[in-house]
Amino acid sequence: MGEQTPAIEIRDLRKVYGDKAAVDGLTLTVPQGCFFGFLGPNGAGKTTTIKMLMGLAPPTSGTIELLGLPMPERSLDIKQQIGLVPDESMLFDHLTGGEFIEFVGRIYGLDRSTARARADELLDLFELGYMPKKLIAEYSKGMRKRVAMAAALIHRPKLFLMDEPFEGVDAVGARMMKDILLDQVRHGATIFLTSHVLEVVERLCERVGIIHEGKLIAEGPMSEMRGTAETLEDAFVRALGMEHAAETLDWL
Amino acid sequence: MTQIGAIFWAQWRTLYHFYPRRGVAWSAIVGLIWYGVWAGVAIVMLRVFSNPAQVPTIRIALPGGLLLMFLYWQVVPLILATTGSSLDLRKLRAYPIPDSQLFSIEVLLRITAGIEMVLVLIGITIGALLNPALGKWSLLATAAYVTFNLIIAVGLRDMLARLLARKRIRELVFFFLVLAAALPQLLMTRRGMMSPQLHLLIARDAWEGWPWTAASNMVLGIRMLPSFAVLSAWTLGSLLFSRWQFSRTLAFDADAANASSSEASRRSWWIEWFYRLPSMLLKDPLGALIEKEFRFLVRSPRFRLVFLMGFTFGLVLWLPMVFVPRGPLGEFFVQNYLTVVCVYSLMLMSDVCFWNAFGFDRSAAQFYFLAPVSFRRVMSGKNLTGLFFLLVEIAVVTGVCVMLRMPLGVRRVTEAYSVAAVITIFLFSAGNLLSVRHARAVNPANSFRTGAAGRLQATLFAIYPVVFAPVLLAYLARYAFGTQTALFVVLAIDAIAGMIVYRVSLDSAVQTADRTRETMIAALSAGDGPIAD
Repeated sequence: MGEQTPAIEIRDLRKVYGDKAAVDGLTLTVPQGCFFGFLGPNGAGKTTTIKMLMGLAPPTSGTIELLGLPMPERSLDIKQQIGLVPDESMLFDHLTGGEFIEFVGRIYGLDRSTARARADELLDLFELGYMPKKLIAEYSKGMRKRVAMAAALIHRPKLFLMDEPFEGVDAVGARMMKDILLDQVRHGATIFLTSHVLEVVERLCERVGIIHEGKLIAEGPMSEMRGTAETLEDAFVRALGMEHAAETLDWL
Repeated sequence: MTQIGAIFWAQWRTLYHFYPRRGVAWSAIVGLIWYGVWAGVAIVMLRVFSNPAQVPTIRIALPGGLLLMFLYWQVVPLILATTGSSLDLRKLRAYPIPDSQLFSIEVLLRITAGIEMVLVLIGITIGALLNPALGKWSLLATAAYVTFNLIIAVGLRDMLARLLARKRIRELVFFFLVLAAALPQLLMTRRGMMSPQLHLLIARDAWEGWPWTAASNMVLGIRMLPSFAVLSAWTLGSLLFSRWQFSRTLAFDADAANASSSEASRRSWWIEWFYRLPSMLLKDPLGALIEKEFRFLVRSPRFRLVFLMGFTFGLVLWLPMVFVPRGPLGEFFVQNYLTVVCVYSLMLMSDVCFWNAFGFDRSAAQFYFLAPVSFRRVMSGKNLTGLFFLLVEIAVVTGVCVMLRMPLGVRRVTEAYSVAAVITIFLFSAGNLLSVRHARAVNPANSFRTGAAGRLQATLFAIYPVVFAPVLLAYLARYAFGTQTALFVVLAIDAIAGMIVYRVSLDSAVQTADRTRETMIAALSAGDGPIAD
């Protein structure tokens, strides 16, 4: 893989459900070592895009290249190098956090003892080690996100695909997760995340893309995206044309 | 192999954590009874096959027996709409696991759809090995036959599950399934005579190209090499077919297949009227609760499948019994055809109407505890919804029987409906208790249950004798007194007793739900391990 090979290269990606395009002609390049925030309102196509990147949903048309390898042709090689923080329904509820992280490590080819040792370390790092017998089913939403992120790190991936990683995570947990992610980027990893927490995106991400109704309506470095707006939230709302969406119902 | 090991390890940990909390004693007792019966059958087979004097009988019966095993393995799971444990590919596809490893696990998991047949085949194999008059290749024969069955089961299951997940062609596929289920009836013996088609399938001198005939020949030590070649060819063919189907399943996008076009999603007025019916007849919140149940159930692929099966498979499955009128069994089926089909429909719909009333729409369970509605009313709403669909089901069964010109009269219809009503009352009573004590999340989007057919049968084996006991008493009364009046009198008493039992069970279920709501919601919120079971 060459020095200039982008971490993610998407060309004219489409995903159609029935006669509705959830993702409509998305073209996007994310350079390596970049912290990229993928934003959009509910139902905009963020999760569908990330599912296609993870290989969980085949695109209707278009091409995806991750780390210079075409998806799905080289999906095994690609998956070996990516870390996933999927939506929480993808976790195995009747395993403990440690068991889940160990399972993921072994699926990525780590031997059992290494996977177990790393799982224990990650549990401690994410402050989940004090309740080793607790099942994921009994975890709070924030703890589920923490365990998913811990599992994503176990094989030291080059690219992270994260669907709402900070959803439900408390301030301390979010701070710790941000520090870990920034450290990964400093070491050359690329992070592609979706989030509704715009303050977090604003603080972490170098580049941002905004998707609306399946189409990429804005993309660029954070400073450009913010432009003259005070915050990313202002820029985001303006980009979507929803400045006056707060009108209330008469009876409310 | 590390990944296969990791998947089985994770599944083992899942079961280890899950079952102690979900009534291990109950599962163990039911499993012991059910598989104990089949182990008994295996021992009988061992004794028969190890006896040299039985070889002439074995020669005649073995091809048909092996065909029955094939049908049990491949068809019974479909009839019960429960096809055994299966990999949760939705979760595993995200990880770098080669397709070949996933396929291998899926093949092994097909054992869960036919553990009973594996037990019987073990009995046959050991018996044949002990019998000096039989070939020494029985181990190879049964191993190859088991392999063939496991592999073909993957392809058939994948193909059907995928086709049934497609919105527009699901009904067409189902129609062909019913026709396929009717096929054995066309081949069935009529008045004790074996039809030429059936002869070709199972007779001693049946076509040697069938896998069951080839396996039988190998056990008997007849034409070893050609028989082995035939069985190997079937196994290879099934491997190609199943790999093809499995790769299509891996690439399958259920959401896309199920997506409606905006044109199609414009509902007809009559469907909307149907959904609104409960609210027109009943006051809120009961009307609203039942309307929500109507909308949810009708949109659920699992519910639609069992509802359709109730009045199609049910009718077709029991039809041959009517055409064999000689003998007490044949006469019984002629006299009680409608009753039998109604009871089969009740059994089939049990897991969507009775046993796990909250697991089917699990996300709503939390709402029921939060909303300002009494839990008794919620349960009553679910029971009334179940009752409505059962009534529709039985009405359709009756209509089809009339169209088929089955011998029906007022007496038979009254009897069938009375029996169904009594069983339903007791099913609701048991179901309400089980629904709160053993609530478990079910994916309503899966047409087939992932639990093993054998386990479902074992559960029915343990529960249904109790539920059917009052009705059996009624039939005993008819037999003892020789009048139909005795049957109806006992059924009436059963119904009164049933209402009391229902009332008590509803009270108990409401109290239990109130006491264990946290556990119940947690159980309904949890998902499976890497293998959905």
